[in-house]
Amino acid sequence: MVADAGMIAIGAGIAVGLAGIGAGMGEQAIGAAAVGAMAEDEKFFGKGLLMTVIPESIAIFGLVVALILLFVFNA
Amino acid sequence: MLKPTKMTRVIIAGTKNLMEPTIATFHRLNVLHITDYSEEGVDFKIGKPLKPASKLSEHLLTLRAISNQLGVKGKESPLKQSSKELPSQLDEKITKLQKEVSSRFDELRNIEFKIKEKEDLASAVKPFFGLPLPLEAYMGYETVKVYTGYIDADIEPGLSGITKNYELFTGEYEKRKILALFIPTAYEAPVQKLLQDERSYVELKVPPLKGNPPVIFDELTKEINILKEKHAAIKSELDNIKKEYSDFVIGADEYLSIETQKAEAPLRFATSPNAFIIDGWVPARKYDEIEKQLNEATGGLVYLTKTEEEVKEEEIPIELENPSPARPFELLINTFATPKYREIDPASVLFITFPLFYGIMLGDVGYGIIVAAMAYIIKNKFKTGGLNSLALILFLSSILSIIFGFIYGEFFGFPIFNVVVKGELEHGLLGISGPAIAGIHMPVHRFGEVQSLLLLTLIIGIIHILLGLVIGFRNHVVEHGLKHAILAKGSWMMILIGGVIAIAKLMPAVMSKLPVPTSDPVFVAGGGLAIIGLILLIAGEGFISILEIPTLLSNVLSYSRILAIGLSSAGIALAVNTLSMNLFIKPDGVLMGKGVVLALVGVVVLFIGHLINLLLGILGPGLHSLRLQYVEFFTKFYEGGGKKYVPFGYNRKYTEE
Repeated sequence: MVADAGMIAIGAGIAVGLAGIGAGMGEQAIGAAAVGAMAEDEKFFGKGLLMTVIPESIAIFGLVVALILLFVFNA
Repeated sequence: MLKPTKMTRVIIAGTKNLMEPTIATFHRLNVLHITDYSEEGVDFKIGKPLKPASKLSEHLLTLRAISNQLGVKGKESPLKQSSKELPSQLDEKITKLQKEVSSRFDELRNIEFKIKEKEDLASAVKPFFGLPLPLEAYMGYETVKVYTGYIDADIEPGLSGITKNYELFTGEYEKRKILALFIPTAYEAPVQKLLQDERSYVELKVPPLKGNPPVIFDELTKEINILKEKHAAIKSELDNIKKEYSDFVIGADEYLSIETQKAEAPLRFATSPNAFIIDGWVPARKYDEIEKQLNEATGGLVYLTKTEEEVKEEEIPIELENPSPARPFELLINTFATPKYREIDPASVLFITFPLFYGIMLGDVGYGIIVAAMAYIIKNKFKTGGLNSLALILFLSSILSIIFGFIYGEFFGFPIFNVVVKGELEHGLLGISGPAIAGIHMPVHRFGEVQSLLLLTLIIGIIHILLGLVIGFRNHVVEHGLKHAILAKGSWMMILIGGVIAIAKLMPAVMSKLPVPTSDPVFVAGGGLAIIGLILLIAGEGFISILEIPTLLSNVLSYSRILAIGLSSAGIALAVNTLSMNLFIKPDGVLMGKGVVLALVGVVVLFIGHLINLLLGILGPGLHSLRLQYVEFFTKFYEGGGKKYVPFGYNRKYTEE
């Protein structure tokens, strides 16, 4: 049904969007700290980059939920 | 493989007259990790540097200064210089170089300063081209005040309101009006105010020179040119010196670094008035060779022995030992932490899992080929160090990307094979349908098979975490014994395996609204295993450990990123392709006639889109693959905290013994 497909798409969008905001809030603090550490010692670049992507899991969980909505429930 | 190199602790003792040959032997062998002697006792004190140390470091300092001034850089395939000839030339050549280079270098700085000064003057003189007066006319008055500057407005009306006793010259320089105003000092205050109120007024300072501005300017330019010629001449002299001596400078730098290192080595020894003792570690397999070499060099008079004395595990230096294909991955291990002596070194595991995860994420033949080419170029440009390792890791990963690209049938987001997705036929680049390998029909379309691929990534995650727990189990057995290992790691394995079995049976029942399958023996067995694991866990770590259980779930779910990152990358590629093809390039008749510009826009969109996606495609899968190793895998077994093995010695590049 068209209406259902639309609702699923909106749900997927909300899942990705809110998860993205959450991940962004986490990365904001870590990113700022990582840049600070890098200003002290450039060797922290690798570790800082890695730390910064850790909250990205949240965004990925959102993306997975969206994918399940779109491809599993929509089928 | 999997374990750091086995180390033997050695004690070397001898009389002081044999210290130098001992140091020389060990330095040449480059195997001894010296434990610095720090506890000063009554009998043994920290050693003093050998005699030539201060002279050597003085030379080294001078040489480094010269090398900086000349801008000497190391070369990739240098001429090897003999360490036997170098010492005799050192004194003479360094003194000569210092004399020649420093004086010239100082002169260069001096000339540069003068050029700057003259150039400043010349640019200050230029605006006065617009006025008809020689420069000396603007200064040296006692009762006359002179104003010079840019101004846009006419100030004569305002001026005549103050006094009629003035002289005003106006002109133009580079389309801006310029003025020189002479007034008696008595009217200084009101005129100053008048000029200040006129916003367009910008004061110009008169340079302290005499003569007509154009003449002065020409003279200055000439002087600058002469200085510049002189500068170039000295520079080329320096270049000649650099050409002639750079081999010497590089070689001598290395020679002096080595000799200083040797001369300062006793600072790490324990010495009494007549004897010395070195405490350190060597790789066990090299012990016999070391013994032989030392006896040859000292006539058997220096005493070398193994010691079995118990030391803290953290004290043992760690050298990672892996087969050469897995060696680049040691970089990723060392970035995280150096393992402890009895821990598993997981570099060989990363050799398999890192490129695998990367390949599953980036799976695209086109991107894979470009990344492989880039990695190959970087690898050849940097033969050693971190960048080389990184390039090798990337190269391996990109090969897996190409393989998975074939499986997914993607080439820059375009389908390679004909494939039916949701009932619609997509035409592939090759125009044929894919082959079937091992019962799986190629290509496995990523957007069409989300559900099964998602399941696959979770299975990969479960296996990866189990592997981590198995390694953790082994580490615990070695360090704390079997019982502790079962309580700490075995329990988690049971929870994971049992939980997975139970959930696999439970989920279909819940989905189809059937009752919980309590009579299914597999479900009961799985649930039972998980509960036994939980009991063991609580026995081992206390009730607080229950809080850790959701972590296991999120760890497993975290592997869904393998699919998610891949899909987002494939999605961007698809979007770029659809956008450029359907909007700009393909619409009928575009390529003929007026649509050429549109087609070009399409090509630009295509290029930039794929460039961005490629950069994301290197960064994203790389970081996330690494994160799965560090966060999900390593936390199951890895403690780290070992000390890196740093042998006493030097890797000669520019000199030979």
